[in-house]
Amino acid sequence: MKALQVIDVRKTYADKVAGKSVEALKGVSFEIKKGEIFGLLGPNGAGKTTLIASITTLEKPTSGELLVFGDSVMKTPLKTKMNVGVVHQEVINTGFFSVDEILDFQSGYYGIYKNKERCDYLMEKLSLYEHRNKKVKQLSGGMKRRLMIAKALVHTPKLLLLDEPTAGVDVGLRESLWKFVHELKNEGMSILLTTHYLEEAEQMCDGVAIINKGQLLFNGTPKNMISEYSQKKLILIMKSGETKEYLESTQLGIAELLVKYNIDIAEIHDIKIEEGRLEDAFSKMVSL
Amino acid sequence: MIIFFTLVKKEIKRFFKVVIQTVVSPIISSFLYLLVFGVSLGASVKLNSGINYLSFLIPGLMVMGLINNAFQNSSSSVVTSKFSGDLEDVRVAPIPNSYIIWAMGFGGVFRGSLVAIITGIVGSIFHYMQLGELLWVVHPFWLAFFFISGGLIFAFIGIFIAVLAKTFDQLSAFSTFILLPLTYLGGVFISIQNLHPIWQTVSHLNPLFYLINGFRYSMLGQSDVELNLAVIVSLIGVVVTFGMAQFALKKGSFSRW
Repeated sequence: MKALQVIDVRKTYADKVAGKSVEALKGVSFEIKKGEIFGLLGPNGAGKTTLIASITTLEKPTSGELLVFGDSVMKTPLKTKMNVGVVHQEVINTGFFSVDEILDFQSGYYGIYKNKERCDYLMEKLSLYEHRNKKVKQLSGGMKRRLMIAKALVHTPKLLLLDEPTAGVDVGLRESLWKFVHELKNEGMSILLTTHYLEEAEQMCDGVAIINKGQLLFNGTPKNMISEYSQKKLILIMKSGETKEYLESTQLGIAELLVKYNIDIAEIHDIKIEEGRLEDAFSKMVSL
Repeated sequence: MIIFFTLVKKEIKRFFKVVIQTVVSPIISSFLYLLVFGVSLGASVKLNSGINYLSFLIPGLMVMGLINNAFQNSSSSVVTSKFSGDLEDVRVAPIPNSYIIWAMGFGGVFRGSLVAIITGIVGSIFHYMQLGELLWVVHPFWLAFFFISGGLIFAFIGIFIAVLAKTFDQLSAFSTFILLPLTYLGGVFISIQNLHPIWQTVSHLNPLFYLINGFRYSMLGQSDVELNLAVIVSLIGVVVTFGMAQFALKKGSFSRW
């Protein structure tokens, strides 16, 4: 069974200022397998957050279907919500309650009465335990991010939605968060994430979808995307001291390249190859 | 039921976190009203019904405390949640809209009743000092009925306004231009028997008039309207305002401000 199926989802807003309608999502379709980390990538304003908001019922799609483990988000929202945890892009700013109280309320929202063990585990795991009596305004930006992740996990969802969870987060915390995401994947959780850190997406994701201006541009594995849309750089350092650079398809091997450019191997002192990257593929794709 | 009780617990804990602002402040206002209007000016006010003005005023101030605080509780809960993002958490969780409405409704009833009861106790002490006897409740059952129905109506209105409001201005406009005039013209401070016939007719169109007088009947055993009419108007008020709150949660935005 698929963790998430996005089927021809469209969302149209009425832009009252401009006096016209805006298509935020133009028939987006993709699916996420169970236990997979899936990256939803795109520039700012591409429609990523609108799609996540549609999965969580904060937005209602104009048309199309969203299925979470086979259940329709539009027809059975209470059922699908039980299986979904979400970390919103904007940081939590609750003024009244402590970390402990917030996780207690969040558990209650999902019908869990006494959830101390799970909450303590999450606080330990996300280095929040010693801050459990602090109010949110006393937490640093990184702690707030971790609290948001803990909130999303109190009910042990099967599908976790992470909307730019590492925006504005330092390198050390980013690394520890990604490590934690991998652990969740190993526990069998399916994860949809959006991020602007494409290098990390390349390493983390089993599958990616690229959207731009509400349109799906690519859906497949990072490897396929790189081979289809990026080029590798072949750097030849000749015995004469001259350096030659060639940008070529990632599918061509060195021998094929040397033949293609008619280069005598005896003249070469050294060869370096810079492999294509997801970032290059992404840049090429969104600029098309 | 765990979901519902969690929402109620959060509502109550929230206003106890800012108890000075939510409970102490309205009680001080009521104390000053009692002192200035009830004791000082009240001595020269004669009502047609023959009731002492202080006895007349106390139920009015209680119901004013009830409805203002019930409205404030739910509306400020929604608005602060819009700022903090809590409203998004409630929306993405498997919580039916009716749970949210009833939980905020009971939160409003609880805070409003707390303020009203303390106002009543302070008023009763004034009553004792002024008239030599405490003010007792004549019909406790009906008092409980009007506590609950009045609190629910204004907590539901608070949800309706706060969810649909896009700015603070829109929220405060309701308090200033609708709630305040309705309260003052509903008979908190005056009996409509003392008004010109035109204003008596206008007062009969004000739904708050029935609530205030139902409350007054429960406390004193007499008021400007029949109990049955006050009960029917209050029940209709609960149903209509619940529908308004449902509409707001269905059509309104849960996005952050």
